[in-house]
Amino acid sequence: MAESHRNPLMASLRRVRLIATQTLAEALHLRLALLLAVAGTMLVLMARWLRDFNFGATELKFLGDFGLGAIGLMGTLLAALATAHLFFSEVAGATIGCVLTRPVRRWEYIGGKLAGVMALLALFVAGLALVLALLIASRGTQLGASFVPLSVFLQACALVWLKLTLVAAMTLLVCSYAGSALFASCAGLLLAVVAHLRPFTAATGWLAWLRLWPNLGLFDAESLLAGGGLATAGLLGLIGYWAVFLLLLGGLASYVFNHREF
Amino acid sequence: MIKPAEVRWAVELENFGKCYAVGWTGGRQPVVQGLSLRLAPGQVLGVLGPNGSGKSTMLKALAGLIAPSAGHCRIMGHAAGSAEARARIGYLPESARFAPHQTGREFLRYCAGLSSMPADLIAPRVEAVLAWTGLGVAVDRKMATWSKGMLQRLGLAQAIVHEPAVVLLDEPASGLDPAGRLALAQLIRELAGQGRAVVFSSHLLVQAGETCDRLAILGQGRLLAEGTPAELLGQDPRSSPEPSPLEKLYLEKIHG
Repeated sequence: MAESHRNPLMASLRRVRLIATQTLAEALHLRLALLLAVAGTMLVLMARWLRDFNFGATELKFLGDFGLGAIGLMGTLLAALATAHLFFSEVAGATIGCVLTRPVRRWEYIGGKLAGVMALLALFVAGLALVLALLIASRGTQLGASFVPLSVFLQACALVWLKLTLVAAMTLLVCSYAGSALFASCAGLLLAVVAHLRPFTAATGWLAWLRLWPNLGLFDAESLLAGGGLATAGLLGLIGYWAVFLLLLGGLASYVFNHREF
Repeated sequence: MIKPAEVRWAVELENFGKCYAVGWTGGRQPVVQGLSLRLAPGQVLGVLGPNGSGKSTMLKALAGLIAPSAGHCRIMGHAAGSAEARARIGYLPESARFAPHQTGREFLRYCAGLSSMPADLIAPRVEAVLAWTGLGVAVDRKMATWSKGMLQRLGLAQAIVHEPAVVLLDEPASGLDPAGRLALAQLIRELAGQGRAVVFSSHLLVQAGETCDRLAILGQGRLLAEGTPAELLGQDPRSSPEPSPLEKLYLEKIHG
């Protein structure tokens, strides 16, 4: 009945896609995701009323910075909490046994979960970015001012998404050995804070080992807006950096998960 | 229908033992010790024993969800947990909670896809399994509205949707009413009739005695007794999974 022997790679990718689709479908029914999406939308819209606290920046720049910051903050919470919830709901419900007793490799399961959460985060960022873009466009029309080009704004949103996917991968690494969703969520958020503070770690001293951890400061969307976008080489370099850490974290999670018993 | 097996034993446990680490000191607590069992294709093995006797541990080891601390577990001659073994088993976990937002049909298609069934065979096979388990009209409703009995039937359906040679069921009768238990017993006998080996754990002694070709009684992680019901009881209580007089009365009342 199995067709896996025909093309093992295609069969693997098919299983990853199935798990990712299942994960995304479950994620879209999470009240937590809805709550964070509503809270994120409200925060983005609040920028309109908080524009007096602009620290001297133009209003449109403040709206962009504040909005992207809100998307990043809510997205970080979603990345850590949803990843842990989606992983442990299957463990607690014992349905992980229905999946792992099939010809599903452990890395396929981790890959599918990560891909599903990445898709959720893409929808989250895209939805809130649309709200922010409409807000900026409407205010820009009223003021007769122009914001950064759309391509630069999209680059900034992409940076936020890349950063959030790394937070999800960090949380998934914790999930691969943790015993509860609460621990995994908290540890995932803590690791995200460490990665955000990574630019401030010294090259020497007892905290120097932290420099092995991904540097989320590189994915600073506000700096990108201020600088007018990234050059192609810089963008490709950043994507390469992201891909390396995503594969490292995912690979490490798969290795740990491979030895886990249920 | 499963073809005659190339291997003699569908399920083999050879001196199987499992220990779990306890506390911070690294101490190891044995939960199953020296368990040896064999089951031929087309046979049904009922595993009986009190809570904590090692029934679920044994089934999880056969399913490849835990690794043996001692001994060997084999499925159709392959080490349990290997890709070859996993391709040949269907497993129903104890008290599985399926995604409430999904319909039964969606879930079965997902399971069939994960089992690497050819895409064109998935839909007809899912329909056949749904008809066989009697889920019928409920299958397109969200599982949040399903009864425990229907969810157990779906659990059985997902375990056999890919036509495995060995079916492992952990407490499949848990939460079922008498009618559901009788239907389950009939389904298990039908699976055996198709040439599949079935291993299930249960607390229901009478039902297990009527349904199984072989019984294994575990206690404190050890095999206390094993054999056919006739060997264990001195008679053969299995003719067919017929309802007892009390069950007959119950069925008459609920079905009018």
